[in-house]
Amino acid sequence: MSIKIQIIVAALVVLALLFIANMVRKETLDIRFALSWLTVGGVVLVLDLFPGIMNYLVHLLGIELPVNMMFFFGFCFTLLLLFSLTVKVSRQAEQLKRLTQEIALLEERMENQAGAAGFDDKK
Amino acid sequence: MSNTAKPVTGAKGGAVKKLVIIPAYNEQGGIERTVRDIMEHAPDFDYVVINDCSTDQTLEVCQKNGFHVINLPVNLGIGGGVQTGYAYAWRNGYDIAVQFDGDGQHNAKYLGAMADRLLSKNLDMVIGSRYIKKEGFQSTGLRRLGIRYFTALIKLVTGKKITDPTSGMRMAGRDVIGLYAKNYPKDYPEPESVVAIIKKGRQVDEIPVQMNAREEGVSSISPRKSVYYMIKVSLAILIAAVRR
Repeated sequence: MSIKIQIIVAALVVLALLFIANMVRKETLDIRFALSWLTVGGVVLVLDLFPGIMNYLVHLLGIELPVNMMFFFGFCFTLLLLFSLTVKVSRQAEQLKRLTQEIALLEERMENQAGAAGFDDKK
Repeated sequence: MSNTAKPVTGAKGGAVKKLVIIPAYNEQGGIERTVRDIMEHAPDFDYVVINDCSTDQTLEVCQKNGFHVINLPVNLGIGGGVQTGYAYAWRNGYDIAVQFDGDGQHNAKYLGAMADRLLSKNLDMVIGSRYIKKEGFQSTGLRRLGIRYFTALIKLVTGKKITDPTSGMRMAGRDVIGLYAKNYPKDYPEPESVVAIIKKGRQVDEIPVQMNAREEGVSSISPRKSVYYMIKVSLAILIAAVRR
């Protein structure tokens, strides 16, 4: 890896990390969600600054090219992240449904208390 | 959930409290006739229209007529809408709740017979089936094939023959009202939710009814979605069968 690429990658990663940290600071991004991204950024930065680690790992795992390892782990991480998001989305859909129902039921109750009697749920 | 709250009135003592749940999404043309049908042919039932955030004049039609409405602020789809009705029935101490389509497909004159069957045989659910006497609107050929397939699949996993598992005309006792208020599938809920209660040991039976061809509104199952429908419902039935 050329020193030029190393510097560019490091700069990009640092920028991304600062960007994420700033979003957390402004509370537009929940720190729980930022953590995995900060971790990825950190790992990429370390691998970029110390290419020896990468070469060692590649050799250890018997992978031909360092880039293959990057693709493989990057892909695994992306799948994991996507799946965890799917789980979160379905949980939130359930929560949202419950809230919607509660609001509708509350509104009905209020209207029937304010208006004509006839529904015997207020004893 | 506050579903554990005690009902205000129960079956013992006072009269049996019966509720018709009418899920309505863009049913401005059919909702008035549906509610009038219930008022006329099932006068001992209370009713509630669940307006699932319709984009047409459904809500206005109901308000103009002074109908009893629960208005969902966000569109939840058929499952979430019907479940709102079950939650309402549970909290207000209803002994019986029945789903009834808002598009004129169902006939209120059968509701009394359904309630009689439920109470006399001490059942947990009674389904209005088009396919016992095979009278009235029978749906189109391909759909009937799909319904037969679900009948076979449900028979396979529960041992119980449900001739019309997709029927939206279903009456539940208090116990099932509570179960559905807690858990109910979001889309295409009918076959799956029947399997769920059979697997919990609840007693389900059917009585013959006639339905009408849809006069207003459009079916939620377009040809494009039918592949998704078959796969989703099949999988959901299998999962409901192994769930405990």
